[in-house]
Amino acid sequence: MVSIGFDRDRIRGTWAVRLAAAILVMTTAIGCASPGAVAPSPTPVASATEAPSASAAEPSPSEAAAPSCGTDPVVLNAYFETGFDIPFKLAEEFTKQFPNVTWDIKQDQFTNLMTATPRLLSGDNPPDLIRLPSMVSLVADGLLKNLDEYATAFGWDEWSAAQLAQNRVAEDGTRGSGSLYAMGLNYSMTGVFYNKELATQIGMTAPPTTVAEFEGLLAKAKDAGLQPIMQWNATASGGGLAFPLQNLMAAYGPTEPINDWIFQKPGATIDTPSNLTAAEHLQQWIEAGYFPEDANAIEYTDANARFGQGEGVFMFNGDWQNATYDKDLPGNVGFFVFPSAEADGKLAAMSAPLTYGIATNAKNADCAAFFFNWVATDETARQINVDIGGSNPGGPTDLPIPSAAEGSVTNETLAAGNEVAKDNGGMDFIANATGSIFAQGWTPELQKMVGGRQDAAGLLKAVQAEYEKELNR
Amino acid sequence: MIEAAGKAGPAPAIARSQAPAADRRTARRILPNRGIRRQTIVGWLFVIPALLMYLVFVIQPLFLTVQYSLYRWDGVGPATWVGLANYVTVLSEPRLLETLFNAFRLVLFFSLVPVGLGLVTASVIQRVATGRLGTISRTILFLPQVIPLVAAGIIWGRLLSLPGLVNQGLSAIGLSDVTRAWLGDFDTALPAVGIIGIWVLLGFCTVLLLTGMTKIERALYESARLDGAGWFQEFKAITVPSLRHEIGVCLTVTVIAALAAFDIVYVSTGGGPGGATAVPGIQIYILAFLERQVGIASALAVVLVFLVLAVILPIQRLSRDTAR
Amino acid sequence: MKVARQELYAGRALLLALCAITILPFVSIFTTALHPSGAVPGGLSWPAEPQWGNFVEAFNVANMRALLTSSVFIVLAVVPVSLVISTMAGFAIGLLRIPGAKYLLLLFIFGLTLPFEGIITPLYFLARQIGILNSRLAIVLPLIGLFMPFAVYWMRAHFVNMPSEVSEAAKVDGASTWDLFWRIHVPLARAPIASLGILMSVWAWNQFLLALVLVEDPTQRTMAGALGAFQGHYATDIPLLCAGTILILLPTLIVFILFQRQVIAALLQGSVKG
Repeated sequence: MVSIGFDRDRIRGTWAVRLAAAILVMTTAIGCASPGAVAPSPTPVASATEAPSASAAEPSPSEAAAPSCGTDPVVLNAYFETGFDIPFKLAEEFTKQFPNVTWDIKQDQFTNLMTATPRLLSGDNPPDLIRLPSMVSLVADGLLKNLDEYATAFGWDEWSAAQLAQNRVAEDGTRGSGSLYAMGLNYSMTGVFYNKELATQIGMTAPPTTVAEFEGLLAKAKDAGLQPIMQWNATASGGGLAFPLQNLMAAYGPTEPINDWIFQKPGATIDTPSNLTAAEHLQQWIEAGYFPEDANAIEYTDANARFGQGEGVFMFNGDWQNATYDKDLPGNVGFFVFPSAEADGKLAAMSAPLTYGIATNAKNADCAAFFFNWVATDETARQINVDIGGSNPGGPTDLPIPSAAEGSVTNETLAAGNEVAKDNGGMDFIANATGSIFAQGWTPELQKMVGGRQDAAGLLKAVQAEYEKELNR
Repeated sequence: MIEAAGKAGPAPAIARSQAPAADRRTARRILPNRGIRRQTIVGWLFVIPALLMYLVFVIQPLFLTVQYSLYRWDGVGPATWVGLANYVTVLSEPRLLETLFNAFRLVLFFSLVPVGLGLVTASVIQRVATGRLGTISRTILFLPQVIPLVAAGIIWGRLLSLPGLVNQGLSAIGLSDVTRAWLGDFDTALPAVGIIGIWVLLGFCTVLLLTGMTKIERALYESARLDGAGWFQEFKAITVPSLRHEIGVCLTVTVIAALAAFDIVYVSTGGGPGGATAVPGIQIYILAFLERQVGIASALAVVLVFLVLAVILPIQRLSRDTAR
Repeated sequence: MKVARQELYAGRALLLALCAITILPFVSIFTTALHPSGAVPGGLSWPAEPQWGNFVEAFNVANMRALLTSSVFIVLAVVPVSLVISTMAGFAIGLLRIPGAKYLLLLFIFGLTLPFEGIITPLYFLARQIGILNSRLAIVLPLIGLFMPFAVYWMRAHFVNMPSEVSEAAKVDGASTWDLFWRIHVPLARAPIASLGILMSVWAWNQFLLALVLVEDPTQRTMAGALGAFQGHYATDIPLLCAGTILILLPTLIVFILFQRQVIAALLQGSVKG
């Protein structure tokens, strides 16, 4: 911090006025030039409307050989998120198999990455591979490479369409269709993890089949003096209560409107009657004390640590945590998909690709694309994905999904993934709807709800208002 | 090394305020009339490197901030002129306005408490702990000033958490009903951040005020004691008025720390929960780099600069002690 | 000065209480750092088996070798240059009394009140324009600029109080302005220069916001900027976070304890001097 000692004899009141006047005069003079003209424009970039058609218009090179990393030494410039081992392990294995490719990996926290990504992509050394928190505005500014030609070359088009849908952006800026701008390293599955020991203690013999049944279990846990749900909701990690909220939304209503809202389809709204019911249930859970009372101060890592130490019967999280859960609660952690409102209702869950993109001006785009393909098709890579990432590697439907270790909760999450796929219940995360809806919408409103300062209706209205504000910019 | 440890009273002060005039006269003798122009050029050459760095990396960006504040720009594409619209937004949108209020609330913690408590502490050291204990206390109290603010934020983040030391202490003295996650509770988050600020800044104020106190003439205290004045009366009548200048410096430094707070808040609460600790510094960062609203971010920054000036200048005025 | 016994005890008690409150947080973090990885210990609890290895692990996890190098580089690049140019400027303004000195000083003093947030956004774009973004220069150059207000004010305050006889004698001997500066006054100013140097080193080391925004590779930031690595990495590791925090604040703490008199005097002299 800067310390100041003032020479009191020198400070006169009028000097500030003089200085301020000088500033005003000079700024009006400067004010004429637009900062857009003064500031550097990003290195040659196609505008949003051009990007998709430009690539499509290019004659596709006769694909005798699909893009690869070649044989010359290549250094892939990559940006990963801290706290997740999977891309690091995949990179290691990739170099083992293709020794001419080495990695220059930088890592940063998710929250820092969210603010840094636009700068990184438009900078002088754009990454070949970068974890993408959200895509649409990046595509609009022409910062992400269009992957359509790679999709054709590698045959990604033949994979299950649902897999790639979340990474497509149409020309009008909506997601879910259009050109491909990112790929997933794997496809995660989310739901409810539970501590088997504690669950037995409250008399849970099988995963609940209705929301009401689940709520009954929560009440039993509370009565038994246990912490029913362990969840994070601190600002730095983002509001973890969005997970149960979205699960409730999908339990009380269809998933399409939710996905439409996330994909920014015109006219989509999150403030619907069924979502209101869902939010009201969440509010009841908060008021009944099912969440930790200090949830607003619990960060993601803290929540996992506490759950791993036996605090909390249930936790809403994703399969990327499987490895840690298996380590902390070996043989003692189970998983089930959040049930629907009715016993035979459709199952739904958030399932998103671990999205990575390639900068428009990346130097080694071909090699990065080849890496994407390799991750999904190579046997070792797929096994790594399952063992360390705990997730479904995706890829061609005819390739078998590797099995996880005996007793690992990954077996349960993979199986659950199949069930949800059958019901076509995959959703993206409501936190991903826009670049800042999580930090400026969901998180503060959910925190207010935990603090008793926001109710269900207000929550949805506030988030919808923030959503519209951002879309109208 | 502390200057004027022995000096006290009005005489040297008056000499000091006359010094500039004397220097001016002697200064002319330093620059011989003949080579004045060359000396001037040389003199300015001495200044130019520092001035250049300052102009390029501080003043120029300041003007640019003002410029950006008049546009709507996402930092990547073209910019659109919007005139003063961003300022209207800053001063009318509740979320942004709230950051300014939070900044002032922090001033209560960062400024008033360290100055007040610092005065008390310094006078305590002055009176009862002039020896070893005093020196050690001074060093210890100053420690928080030296560590990175982010470290302070992380340390207190753990202390103020539910299983943290603060709650442990409260439970130990029987106040376990009050325990909570201080940084996660809407009502206590900002005061909790304030406490971190007090911890960081108290040492600075204490040591500064202590230094000032050593210059106060003993005779004043002794005559007051002869008149039967107690500690508090001495404090009020002699100590505080004599320390006007030092108090002014304390207030200035701490007010700037409060209004411009970033590191501590970013690391301990991130501006949450629900915006309860959103301060202008954090909001500028979020607006500029997360929401990519460079124009509004810049407008908020300009407003912040003006606020700082608006608060500092009167403090400087008031802390000028003309008769010492 | 006779002091009532009551007052003596009350005063000392207050002092001890404040010192304890100041030190306790450090102690708490230290004990937490010694807990086994993954634990969530309470405030003050000495673990059954202190894990001294946590410090080593924290060092490696946060890639502290790179960070130490980075921070040292930044300090070495910022401080000497700043010392030289600010001493020169302080000399010109305070001693030579060049015309316009008063306005120059005011210009610098204005910078003292400027919050970093007021200029961080354009600094980012400026750095990008000059092409130094994501390099340590992006921290070094703006930091030199940002230190100028305090440094110039500081050095000027010293030079203003230099008696004129010293310069007189030199002039009589036919010394040029540079000789006057370098041969005569700089050696005399050793103490304030040293103090200023220490102060700026500590500030540069602790710099966070600039590092966060202007350098994208976390390993090229300052030590303080590294703390983010802990907060995200290692899903269950609070002891490691605490160990890392201690490692990060250790350097400045040691510098302070070694140079405490100079540091404190340095900070206060500027305020005390008329």
